[in-house]
Amino acid sequence: MGAQQLPVAGTAGTDGAAPPIVRLREISKWFPAPRRWRELVRHPRRRDHVQALRGVSVDIREGEFFGLLGPNGAGKSTLFRILSTLVSADAGTGIVCGFDVGRDADRVRDVLAPVVADERSLNWRLSARENLRLYATLHGLRGPARSSRVDELLELVELVGDADRPVSGFSSGMKQRLLLGRTLLARPRVLLLDEPTRSLDPLSARRFREFLRREISEAQGCTVLLATHNAEEALHFCDRVGVLDRGRLIAVGAASQLAGELGGERYVLWVKESDPARFDALGNSGGAVVRRCGHLVAEAGGWSRLELDIPGGLDAVARVLDGLARAGVPVARCERQEMSLADLLEALLERHKRMSADG
Amino acid sequence: MAKIGALVRAAWLAALSYRLGFILSVSTLLFTVVPFYFVANALQPTMAGVIQGEGHQYFGFLIVGMMVVTVVTATLYALPNAISAGVANGTLEALFTTPTPVWVLLAGLSGYEVLFAIVRATALLLAAAAFGAHVAWDRMGPALPILILLILAHIPIGLIGGAMILAFRTAGPLSQIVLTLSVFLGGTYYPTHVIPGWLEGVSGLLPMTYGLRALRGVLLEGLPFAGVARDVAVLAAFAVVLTVASVLAFRAALKYAKRTGSLAQY
Repeated sequence: MGAQQLPVAGTAGTDGAAPPIVRLREISKWFPAPRRWRELVRHPRRRDHVQALRGVSVDIREGEFFGLLGPNGAGKSTLFRILSTLVSADAGTGIVCGFDVGRDADRVRDVLAPVVADERSLNWRLSARENLRLYATLHGLRGPARSSRVDELLELVELVGDADRPVSGFSSGMKQRLLLGRTLLARPRVLLLDEPTRSLDPLSARRFREFLRREISEAQGCTVLLATHNAEEALHFCDRVGVLDRGRLIAVGAASQLAGELGGERYVLWVKESDPARFDALGNSGGAVVRRCGHLVAEAGGWSRLELDIPGGLDAVARVLDGLARAGVPVARCERQEMSLADLLEALLERHKRMSADG
Repeated sequence: MAKIGALVRAAWLAALSYRLGFILSVSTLLFTVVPFYFVANALQPTMAGVIQGEGHQYFGFLIVGMMVVTVVTATLYALPNAISAGVANGTLEALFTTPTPVWVLLAGLSGYEVLFAIVRATALLLAAAAFGAHVAWDRMGPALPILILLILAHIPIGLIGGAMILAFRTAGPLSQIVLTLSVFLGGTYYPTHVIPGWLEGVSGLLPMTYGLRALRGVLLEGLPFAGVARDVAVLAAFAVVLTVASVLAFRAALKYAKRTGSLAQY
């Protein structure tokens, strides 16, 4: 079963959007399953495999900021390693800027760069400048061109003042910026980031995300693929997200639209009603379909908290409020609550399970 | 060459940053010369007849043996160690994602260790000369290609160790076996002709046996290149055959690692 492509996830040639810069078709990958000693002795020739990716197909447009979500073990890192040419796919094709990741690995590495988020992959005994100089040479830059590119990137990642200090004295945020600078040396057109903010404090993580969006995606026009567990990254920074579950891409679309599609929009109403038995009826008043009534907590002064999922946008919300007013229930406050990433993933996985069961 | 140079330079700068370790690694060598000098002089009367044809002075014989062991040890272990460290700290993954041919990365990653071993071996020879070792300095020209051939004959064994690490996360025992056999049966401390017959057969399978004999012939006996041509030819044959075998092994390991996902996995 392919990914559920929501309307917002326009593909090339259908909506006049930018052409796909990354095109994956039916990518599958099996890894040998770890075996116990006893099994190895009993069945030395048997080969067990676990499937890490199952027919993943998706197009990613030039300049897009694309998030890859999914629980641990869903296949995000495997997909990134296939795109980085570090792992070979067992089936399917992956095309990056027109180059096949299997057959034209060298060309792919010219245009696509994974940000290796592990800080230890930097040479800590060397300065930031020496680290960049080494990788600039490996990317084929020489002489003045190399020096000016290194200076340019030190400025871009805001490390000019610390350029000649050993990396061992850098904070995690500085190391992440240096890793990013190292990746940008060759002016890649596609950037892969695998949980780049996992080791950063919330403030540094936010600054890093803003830097990514402003400098890398918007100013440099880089296409960014970001694997993340972070709600802020997925819901606010990504143009679209893809959700992987056990190797299968089960949904692709704008995060906000996926949330709206799956969970409706969640609202919290503060109402004055003392009889809990009336709340289902209250929620369904006004002709709106209310999917879920949340917990009711009595507050001081007789005000209670009513949680409602109201699909259908603001018109539906207005109908619910109108219904409450007609029923004579005072409403003190009505707040819209966004769906959390965990709720979104849960809803997507449940829907996928339901659809699989239905055949 | 620029890419290899950049990797060697980075390793050099990193080594220099460990100042005490760097100073000790060079100075310790000089101190090892002293006990060798006294032991060799004490054994000179016994060994003089045994080492005919490979220099007449046991001190010089031992020093050339130690020089070659220093270089061969670095050659056997540089690549497996570099790959192992690269896998452990994530640098290998970062290097493999650059548009750099694999053989360039391998040469660059192991280059510093081998070059530094050559520097240390040269320092050993100079220190030994200061203590009175008889060295035919005018034969350094032919000695250099023999040393290079010795390195080329041992790099493939290190490459096979590196291939094992890529595929199975262990270098295996090959480098250790070759080094141990080379030290005891390759003529480091005594000429191979004093080894019992059945063990001498094993000695004939080691590149060190031919390289060391040729190097001693040139450096200690003052022979011209033609005088050691037979040993050099066997050494060259080892280098060619082992290189072909190790390249095939490494390619297979790389393919296996990409298929199983173990290429840059800790």
